[in-house]
Amino acid sequence: MKNLIERLHIKYSLTDIVNQRDNFVYLTIRKENAIDLVTYLKDYEGFSHFVLLSCVDWIEDGKFQLSYFLNQPNKKFDIAIRTMIDRENAEMQSSHHLWKHIETYQRELREMYGINFPKNPRIEENFILEGWDEIPPMRREFDTKRYSEKTFFPREGRKTYDPATYMKDKLYPNAPITAKVNKKDE
Amino acid sequence: MGKLKDILSPFTAWGGVIKDPVTIKNPIGRPAAPRYRGFHKNEVDVCIGCGSCEAICENEAIDLVPVEGIKAKDGDSGLRPMVDYGRCCWCALCVDVCTTGSLTLSDEYTWVSENADEFRYIPGLDKKDWDKNENGWKKPEPNYEFYSLDRVKMPELHAQERGQSFIEFITGYSKQQAELEADRCVECGICTSACPAHMGIPEYIKAIRNNDLEEGLRILYETNPLPEICGRICTHKCESVCTMGHKGDPISIRWLKRYIADQNPSEKYKEILNAENLVDNGKKIAIIGAGPAGLSTAYYLKLMGYQCTIFEKLPEAGGMMRYGIPEYRLPYDQIDKDVNYILSLGVEIKYNVNIGTDITLEDLGKDFDAVFAGTGLHLGRSTRVPGSDNKNVYFATDLLREISLGQEVPLTEKIVVIGGGNVAMDITRSLARLQNIKYGKVDILATCLESEDIMPADREEVVEAREELAIVDPGWGPKEIETENEKIKGLHVVKCLSVFDENKAFNPKFDEENKKFFVADMIVESIGQGMDLSYLSDEFKENLRFSNRGRIEVDDYFQSGIDWLFVGGDIIQGSDVIHGIANGHKAAIGIDNFLMKK
Repeated sequence: MKNLIERLHIKYSLTDIVNQRDNFVYLTIRKENAIDLVTYLKDYEGFSHFVLLSCVDWIEDGKFQLSYFLNQPNKKFDIAIRTMIDRENAEMQSSHHLWKHIETYQRELREMYGINFPKNPRIEENFILEGWDEIPPMRREFDTKRYSEKTFFPREGRKTYDPATYMKDKLYPNAPITAKVNKKDE
Repeated sequence: MGKLKDILSPFTAWGGVIKDPVTIKNPIGRPAAPRYRGFHKNEVDVCIGCGSCEAICENEAIDLVPVEGIKAKDGDSGLRPMVDYGRCCWCALCVDVCTTGSLTLSDEYTWVSENADEFRYIPGLDKKDWDKNENGWKKPEPNYEFYSLDRVKMPELHAQERGQSFIEFITGYSKQQAELEADRCVECGICTSACPAHMGIPEYIKAIRNNDLEEGLRILYETNPLPEICGRICTHKCESVCTMGHKGDPISIRWLKRYIADQNPSEKYKEILNAENLVDNGKKIAIIGAGPAGLSTAYYLKLMGYQCTIFEKLPEAGGMMRYGIPEYRLPYDQIDKDVNYILSLGVEIKYNVNIGTDITLEDLGKDFDAVFAGTGLHLGRSTRVPGSDNKNVYFATDLLREISLGQEVPLTEKIVVIGGGNVAMDITRSLARLQNIKYGKVDILATCLESEDIMPADREEVVEAREELAIVDPGWGPKEIETENEKIKGLHVVKCLSVFDENKAFNPKFDEENKKFFVADMIVESIGQGMDLSYLSDEFKENLRFSNRGRIEVDDYFQSGIDWLFVGGDIIQGSDVIHGIANGHKAAIGIDNFLMKK
């Protein structure tokens, strides 16, 4: 596999290689070449199984990171292709033509992160969120707590105690914990 | 009115009814993966209710609640986590942050109940089928911690270097070290209750993290006007209950306090602490003894508007902090920094005044609105074994005081100290230094009844004494001091089997056959201290209440049987600086309440 990685490096000018395990490597590549590389691995190197497509929101850098996980069943080897795309007007070339189930991953990413994959079938349809009119919920600026407070009612009967305050009430209710100060009117 | 989308969306869902389901049947009965994150388990006896699980929970799924059979006590809030599975997302951050390791997740993931309220329960207390499941998510060990288990090491002088002089050997944290150490605190506040003064410990540690040391100083002074002193020599009961101590080192709370005090220059204290323009209410309070209790009383009374005069028997302020604790642990200029700030507010100290002879307590009662006595435990106690009346047998308290006064103390080449407390270690280490200076070598041995594991001295004192080449040989009972022509030959001891009986009363048992002889030409006794109440006239004593053990009885606010006399500090609570400070604060409140009612 070392050979393969070296060949890929020359062919695709990879920007980073991380050997995660003996049988698993992360390759980072520019957005323009990512689907080419995925296709090459499928068609010529026996990576016949598409494992998953995932996304990480690097909000500070203004980027989304897409990772295409591929598996070579004969050699029991995994490669994940990573690529960074702009967060603003996020869009990526669709790869649903390579494996049917990529359609589903791309619909999910469209809904959860707002990334568009033009030409992906049913890309505009609801995936699991129905009647959603907030920003995509997996984007890091989405305030989950504020949303849940606005949307759901609090559970009845819940009450919590702060350990330090509770201990004061139980163990030393009269002890002074601040200094009493009398000052002249200024 | 809802939006059109809201109204239509339920119908779009119905569209799925005619399609084949894509899910498979719930595989009930299939065991979960070994590290599956299922329902919570909690070892309630190990859990101390610190609330870190609640604090980290992103979903607010955890409440800390009081439970039957577990009471709040030092080191345990008495609360336990209750999980709401309507909110839990099984992320296991609660397990990963748990400081005691009590909280884990079982591998059970199926649970059916028609009662929604059952899905809120207290793991470990509300019995569940999965309580005994071995598999599930536990914090992986080792090296999987959200915080460092090791405290930042305090820089100190090497034993060989520090043993040559009385220079302070703990050098203090740098900014980077203090912030790193402060970063280990989970802010649970379990420590606050164990501190006799109930200092705002998590708050001042947070101030260090925020690099707001002025705020840190303000928090310290709310409950403790002697932070330079306590930052060095406090018995740090807080650290013994610190939740981080369950799996690693407790936070260095004492050194962090010192860091705050050290970093704030004394000339800025008044401004930082906003102590200008204090009221003068015209009422006068006399305080006997400028030790921790007296200074604390004076400080908090002064803030409230009282004129405070401290009467001190010795030539300088500090009491046992100056005349009992050696300079290498607590340098005099640091005592002065704390004391001078209190004086700068207008508290007055009259030095070299002996109550009972120079002025009587009755006179103080007449001249002042109230009196606080914090006169401390300055008298030595004798073992009273044969030979202990020899002139070369000394009390540790006397020698420590003489060293602080700059007097020449008796010294020989071969010394034995009897006692295993902090005072015994103080005199052992002080005399070792003097031997080093005078003879160029150390030959001193400390022995005590208690075996190594139950020695009353702080562990680090024993370790450091040995580093400084003193011998500590615990677990022996003194039998006789052998003398010849008035000269000491040494100390005969027998093995001490136990110190306390089954009723926890002091009742040592010995193995008389197992003997030892420690050669010495000078012996120091350090087996406890007594109080000198000679300033109380007999007539006066009749109006006071005393306990069976001879202590003056006081109420919760340290008011004695004579209403204008308040008593606190070591003579009430036993020797401990931070207790004295706490007593002084509370007595100040007591005096204020008493005089406001008058």
